Amino acid sequence: MKTGTNINRRRFIKNTTIGIIGLPLLSNTYRNIAPSDKIRVAHIGMGNMGRAHLKWFSGFSDVETVALCDVDKVRLTEKYKLLQEINPNARADTYTDFRHILDRKDIDVITCATPDHWHALIAIMAFQSGKDVYGEKPLSYSVEEGQAMKKSMEYDNSVFQLGTQIHAGENYHRVVEIIQSGILGKIHTVRLWKTGGSPGLGFPPTEIPPDTLDWDMWLGPAPYEEYTPVRCHGSFRHFFDYSGGVFCDFWCHIADIVYMSLNPQGLYSIDTRGERPFNGIADTPRWIEADFKFKDLDLYWTTDPPSVPGAEKMHIGAHFEGVNGSLTCDYNIKIIRIGNEIINDITEVPETIPRSPGHQRNFLDAVRSRKQPESNLAYAREMTLPMQLALISFRLKRKLKWDSLKEQFEGDNAANYLLSRGVYRAPWFLPE
Amino acid sequence: MKEFILINLFATLFFTSCFTQENDSFSPLFNGKDLSKWTLGEEGGFEVIKGELYTSSFGKGNNLFTNNWYCNYVLRLEYMLSDVGNSGVLIRCDPQDPWKTGVEVQLLAPWTPRRDDLHCTGSLYGHVAVANRPDETTGIWHKMEIRCDRNTISVSVDDTITTLASIDTVKTMEDKLLCGAIGLQVNHANIEGQYAKFRNIYIRDLDSEPEYITGGFYEKDSLLRSQAHVAAITLGAKMVEPLAIMMSGENPVAKSGSRQVLFDIVARATAPQSAEKYKNDVAIALKNSANSTSSEITRNYLEWLIGMIGN
Repeated sequence: MKTGTNINRRRFIKNTTIGIIGLPLLSNTYRNIAPSDKIRVAHIGMGNMGRAHLKWFSGFSDVETVALCDVDKVRLTEKYKLLQEINPNARADTYTDFRHILDRKDIDVITCATPDHWHALIAIMAFQSGKDVYGEKPLSYSVEEGQAMKKSMEYDNSVFQLGTQIHAGENYHRVVEIIQSGILGKIHTVRLWKTGGSPGLGFPPTEIPPDTLDWDMWLGPAPYEEYTPVRCHGSFRHFFDYSGGVFCDFWCHIADIVYMSLNPQGLYSIDTRGERPFNGIADTPRWIEADFKFKDLDLYWTTDPPSVPGAEKMHIGAHFEGVNGSLTCDYNIKIIRIGNEIINDITEVPETIPRSPGHQRNFLDAVRSRKQPESNLAYAREMTLPMQLALISFRLKRKLKWDSLKEQFEGDNAANYLLSRGVYRAPWFLPE
Repeated sequence: MKEFILINLFATLFFTSCFTQENDSFSPLFNGKDLSKWTLGEEGGFEVIKGELYTSSFGKGNNLFTNNWYCNYVLRLEYMLSDVGNSGVLIRCDPQDPWKTGVEVQLLAPWTPRRDDLHCTGSLYGHVAVANRPDETTGIWHKMEIRCDRNTISVSVDDTITTLASIDTVKTMEDKLLCGAIGLQVNHANIEGQYAKFRNIYIRDLDSEPEYITGGFYEKDSLLRSQAHVAAITLGAKMVEPLAIMMSGENPVAKSGSRQVLFDIVARATAPQSAEKYKNDVAIALKNSANSTSSEITRNYLEWLIGMIGN
């Protein structure tokens, strides 16, 4: 499907099912997608976001859903049935091991809605096997994984879109126009928040995993742990082994508007406070507050809404403070305050930014045009980074200094150690 | 009767264990010379006379508080009261508002009207009555021992338990602090020349003992667990092995707590301002535990932490 200009550099994974995973071999296989051809899509990770991917992508007339994959056979069967309800003629293959999908030369695109700790490995292995990726947020488990993903994507000339679908909405585009118009003056401070934190999840005993679940594969590169249902579907996000809690979950959605509108640069200091849950095996923040200092911007994150008008009613939000006024927004609304005036829009600011045709359509167009989509990897990585750094500051319970050029903490080896997972459980590793 | 037997049994066990192996872990709170380790208010009220701590006041005078706060401990002291002596030992209190935040173990001469069991020597004044009324003879030295053990507070006078309280079942103590300063109440009487005297004041801080801290990791009450977690982090290297053992065990509460606290110990050890000794000792303890554990999950985790500390 890719244009073929880099055939000799395109790699794919061979023999992926017998443990020689990630062995890079030169591949002479790729597919050119003619304008009349359908884009052949496979979905990996068939939980709730996987369901959304299936519905979204199967709704496009130029997409053919050809394969589904999940380590949980119950979910896999369920989503296969859903596909058949949507399209009775669909003939998708089902797999419990994603490497079978990467092996197939007739697949152009994978979407990935696995837990976070799998994101980077699957994306990189997909790039290496000549596929483009629509990947769920957050981008990656660690900073190092984000760096590796970018390198790999560039090397393989792949296309990547992060699944932050709110990015494509009208509200964010309009907020960008207003912020960038300068009508609020220079924006010096942004306050972000998302209410709620990780529940403790109690202290359940470990169990033998159900026969229908490949627990070892679910864990993948994460440290081995005995199975208990709360570690898995629906609440894995509350464990640092796999993710980083509610903060990590929602950062990408609301920090997105800061990066879209201001693209802050020169992050140099991260100071985080917070607590783990008291009652349970979960270890990600029950609440968290992070102060980020950029070259020209102070960015704050809180679990409780900040004390700015209207925030207390919003479970998630961004509040921009400019010299001449402020703007408070979430996914769908914006409130602009200039002096005593409170308005929802500023009609004098012209519409200058092209609207997205929809987040998935934008990605599919990029797959055909070979031009990166709106929420591409380079963009998504920069936007994700502060969140990952704040979680390190949270875990170490200290303020950290950051060198944004070297992408290293200053004078803190332990903090730098946590930029990567460190140990990937065999046979998995971070592919280069 | 039943209660009496139970208390005696408890007392026997208690003192057997105390006096056989625990003497070494007591350290003096009063040096017999001055009030170092203590803070006295502007009005005074306490002085050191012939190696004894003497309080006598008429109308004014402040209570005396330790500089440090303690959570779980055994406090031993000797006291003597005059005919109208009226003092007390304040435990787990904030000196800013000691009676509201903590409780007073009463020390009171038996002047009339005779005070009831809820307000006599050895009671948790106004909260928990004595079960055994102690010897209240004035003018002689008595021994007192107060043990604050998480939700259990016990008081003994002259080697006999007077009071045993499960404070989580005492309604009036619901909002009391679990940690605080230790205070001595200024002697207060309407007659001049009345006094209380103290000597041989020793404390054994249970929160510096790995075995005791480990017990806290199994507590149902999350507050008590957090307390044990903090104590473990403070202690550092000495806790690494017990934590690694708990992490390899079967109890899910202790397992997850120990795993988290091992991380916190390494986080503290790697802080730029951390003491080199704390860090080195933790690094050695991690290596020893990684070598000795039979659990692969624990070993992998410890090795990951070793990477973090040794980086």
